[in-house]
Amino acid sequence: MKKFYLMFALLISLAVLAACSSGDDEANGASGSEGSSGADSITAWAWDPAFNIAALEKAKEAYDGDVEVKIIENAQDDIIQKLNTGLSSGTTKGMPNIVLIEDYRAQSFLQAYPDAFYPLTDVINSDDFADYKIATTSFDGEQYGLPFDSGVAGLYVRTDYLEEAGYTPEDLTNITWDEYIEIGKAVKEATGKNMLTLDPNDLGQIRMMIQTNGSWYVDEDGSTPNLEGNESLAKAFETYKKMMDADIGKIVSDWSQFVGAFNSGDVASVPTGNWITPSIKQAEDQSGKWAVVPMPRLDMEGAVNASNLGGSSWYVLNVDGKEEAADFMLQTFGSNVDLYQTLVKDIGALGTYSAAAEGDAYAVEDEFFGGQQLLADLSTWTDEIPGVNYGLHTYAIEDILVTGMQDYLNGTELTKVLENVQAQAEAQLK
Amino acid sequence: MPTMKMKQKASRILRNNSLFIKMFLIMVVSIVAVSLLITFSSIRMSSDLFMDTFSISNTKALEQIETRFEDYSFAIVSATNEVQNNGTIKKVLTQENESAIETSKSYHDISRQIERIYPTVESYDTNMIVLGENERLYNMNYSNWPVSWEVLRNHPITKRSIEQPNRLLYQFMPSTSFNDKPMIVATKALMERSTGEIYGVLYFPIREEDWKRLYEGYTSTENEVLLVNQDGKIVSSNKDEMIGDLEPELLALAEEVEEEQLDLKEVNLFETNYLLMSQYLPTYDLYLVNLVNKNAVLANLINTKEILLISLGIVLVAVVIVFIISRRMTNSISRLVKQISSMAKHDFNRPVTETGGYEAKKIANAFNSMLSELKEYVDLVVQAQQKQRTAELLALQHQINPHFLYNTLASVKFMVQQGKKEKATEMIHALISLLQNALSNVDQTITVEQEIADLKNYVLINQARYGDGIKVNFFVSPDCLDCQVPKLILQPFIENAFFHAFNEKKEGFVQILVSQKRGSLICEIVDNGDGMEMKGDYTKEDIKEKRHLFSGIGIRNVHERIQMIYGGQYGVEISSEKGEGTKVKVELPVQKLNASVKSNEITNI
Repeated sequence: MKKFYLMFALLISLAVLAACSSGDDEANGASGSEGSSGADSITAWAWDPAFNIAALEKAKEAYDGDVEVKIIENAQDDIIQKLNTGLSSGTTKGMPNIVLIEDYRAQSFLQAYPDAFYPLTDVINSDDFADYKIATTSFDGEQYGLPFDSGVAGLYVRTDYLEEAGYTPEDLTNITWDEYIEIGKAVKEATGKNMLTLDPNDLGQIRMMIQTNGSWYVDEDGSTPNLEGNESLAKAFETYKKMMDADIGKIVSDWSQFVGAFNSGDVASVPTGNWITPSIKQAEDQSGKWAVVPMPRLDMEGAVNASNLGGSSWYVLNVDGKEEAADFMLQTFGSNVDLYQTLVKDIGALGTYSAAAEGDAYAVEDEFFGGQQLLADLSTWTDEIPGVNYGLHTYAIEDILVTGMQDYLNGTELTKVLENVQAQAEAQLK
Repeated sequence: MPTMKMKQKASRILRNNSLFIKMFLIMVVSIVAVSLLITFSSIRMSSDLFMDTFSISNTKALEQIETRFEDYSFAIVSATNEVQNNGTIKKVLTQENESAIETSKSYHDISRQIERIYPTVESYDTNMIVLGENERLYNMNYSNWPVSWEVLRNHPITKRSIEQPNRLLYQFMPSTSFNDKPMIVATKALMERSTGEIYGVLYFPIREEDWKRLYEGYTSTENEVLLVNQDGKIVSSNKDEMIGDLEPELLALAEEVEEEQLDLKEVNLFETNYLLMSQYLPTYDLYLVNLVNKNAVLANLINTKEILLISLGIVLVAVVIVFIISRRMTNSISRLVKQISSMAKHDFNRPVTETGGYEAKKIANAFNSMLSELKEYVDLVVQAQQKQRTAELLALQHQINPHFLYNTLASVKFMVQQGKKEKATEMIHALISLLQNALSNVDQTITVEQEIADLKNYVLINQARYGDGIKVNFFVSPDCLDCQVPKLILQPFIENAFFHAFNEKKEGFVQILVSQKRGSLICEIVDNGDGMEMKGDYTKEDIKEKRHLFSGIGIRNVHERIQMIYGGQYGVEISSEKGEGTKVKVELPVQKLNASVKSNEITNI
């Protein structure tokens, strides 16, 4: 009997001990399946809370599907890094369903990881968007990107300075860069103000110039450097040097100086992408003193008065939930005219969805720009931008060109300079 | 009333179980006390041990954090040296009034130089800004700190670094100034050594959230790291909400730990108990403080709740087992006690049941054998006493009063002298048969008939002596004649009637009635003599024993004798009234000789 009691006590104590120690293991189960979204939620990555993140929020509001959209903000460099590491390792874990990629970089991703992106060819109608966007967002005959913001460029001019020098905005409309330089000289003489800012380390100016003639740093294939013998590039270089020689450019070294220059009234014009509009409007005392005219063109046969700087597009990754993500894209940025009205009104984001330009919001007269129908004008110019394949190496080639430009400015012959940069680019990008 | 009953019941239950309750309470108290002591001492020991090892590992962690801060500082210093020694940067920053192409070239050149140096710090997510006079500003990562030349030129951190041009300063910028994120900016004035002229300022801003990665891996919510500057301001911490707070108390403690070379110090800060470790970082002029929340760490490490639960479980199990075992043990003892205490009710002849544990069985067994021995002794004593009593009675019976004989014989003599020969003969016969019966064994019973015959002889003798003023009548129911009665059972009453009832009245009668009633033999001796005052209703004490005239047996003995032989329901009853006479009633069982067992029994006694 005593032995029985002892056994009994031991058994009970063991049971009690076992029951106590088994509490912690259960919590781990739930957290396994978050990275790859199932069909009930999709994630989207973008980088600018004031701009593209805000646009996503608006799209989410406009979307009435069952799928929950999670919007995640990452720095642009982080997005590029994460996509590269994620896609190159072949894992889809932790990848978003939707990601925003800058147009200049898009081709490098599409070419490097063609299977990682979900083709939208059958989802959206590419004819609905500005032509020039299609070249950068498609690859190998398939449409991968859904074009988002327009980088359509315009020439922002100070009407008061022009007037002082005896010009009107009409005098700057549809001109060539050479004509622009002549006007610049006159303006500097009359007002003492420089015509524009130039950053020796950023050749956006050159990019805008060559795109007016449908040319780019690379060939149609997107990878062969097209520098030596590129007439448009040579013409742009010459034009750039003319500006420097004419001393109508204020040299700046970073964004704050660039913005500071026009906000403080140091320059008479700003040739750049339309996304600069909010920065220009920051100087409220300059209201009514600005106008926007089409971008000057290269003085060449076939060049048009329309160009582009920057811009980005949405891409759907080939991971679980791609159908839902594509559907979300179609219902919002792919077809919703009202959404685009909201975007221009609330965020100032100008899309490239052609049908949107007919909405009321685009017809608004902007008092800051003397009553100009700025959005409507920009939309019109958007349609005229020559489409180019930005290819894979925009920034890599530009790094080489920056030094080439300095050589050229300091006396080296242009053909020699272009020969050098071509050789360097081919060596580096092989 | 019910409450009283319940109280009584409760107290009875308590009393009956008092052994169990005492034993159980003592066991429970000891079990609980032992468990509590062991639990708390083991918790305390393990927590002490843990805190020791924890502080050792934290000291190691602190050393590693320090190393990482040194690495970071080294990266900053290397970049600073490269910028300071870079002729291109100096040239560009000191140039003035050049053409657009020259400016463009110098901007390009300086950018190339800075870009070359930048990777040294870029891996730490640190920005690099070079500020020169004449609105020259080179910001390697504009989004990190979108600052304009004017703002930066007039910024206090610029002024401070120009004031101390030889020092690399780490300055804290709280979140409100430019950006919504707090930053730590390493600044160094760029000075031409030969002239002492300052030609620019170099900045390495890093967001606090990026900077804290140097130590964040070593932290947790219980294990906080704070960097405190000389003003007591918290410059960086894994606790975001504390960044920018002024905590002079914390600074004082950190200084104390550092000065006294303490490993760690137990402090009470922000109403919490912490272990504080501190390390001064001279390059940063900051104190690296490690606060370990003692309670939270212990709570995480030692699951007090679990230990207490286990102890509780063990205590419960032990208590249940103790309950069952002690219940079993005490139950048998209590039952034993209960049986023993009611033993007197059963005349010691009911043995206790031998059940329960070994000890209880042994006790019950011993008790039972003791009981049976005791009973034997008691029986022996009773027997001895009865024998003694019988012997006494026998002795008494055999003591035929010599006066009686003398008187009787004297009477016979007179009768012979008077010539009443027949009467004398009759008297002698009566005496002979009387003596014959009286002197035989007192134990023997005789029939009613014989007893009556004896009585008649006795009456005859007395009447012969004293005259026949007192008439005696016998009324015996015929069915009683063969009933057995003890010898000389009625004689004392007759004697009593003769010699005491007729002191005042000189004449009267005595009637003797024998009959059966409800299974009893009733013998009544009724006289109409003087009677007496009855004080109670009992015979023995009331009747003063006079000297016995015939034998030693008096009426007092009769009652005792009857009761001794037949039991309590039989005996003598006397009723009397002054002047009316006395009535004696003797009640006996009806016994006939053929009921041999009973007669044997009687003879045995």
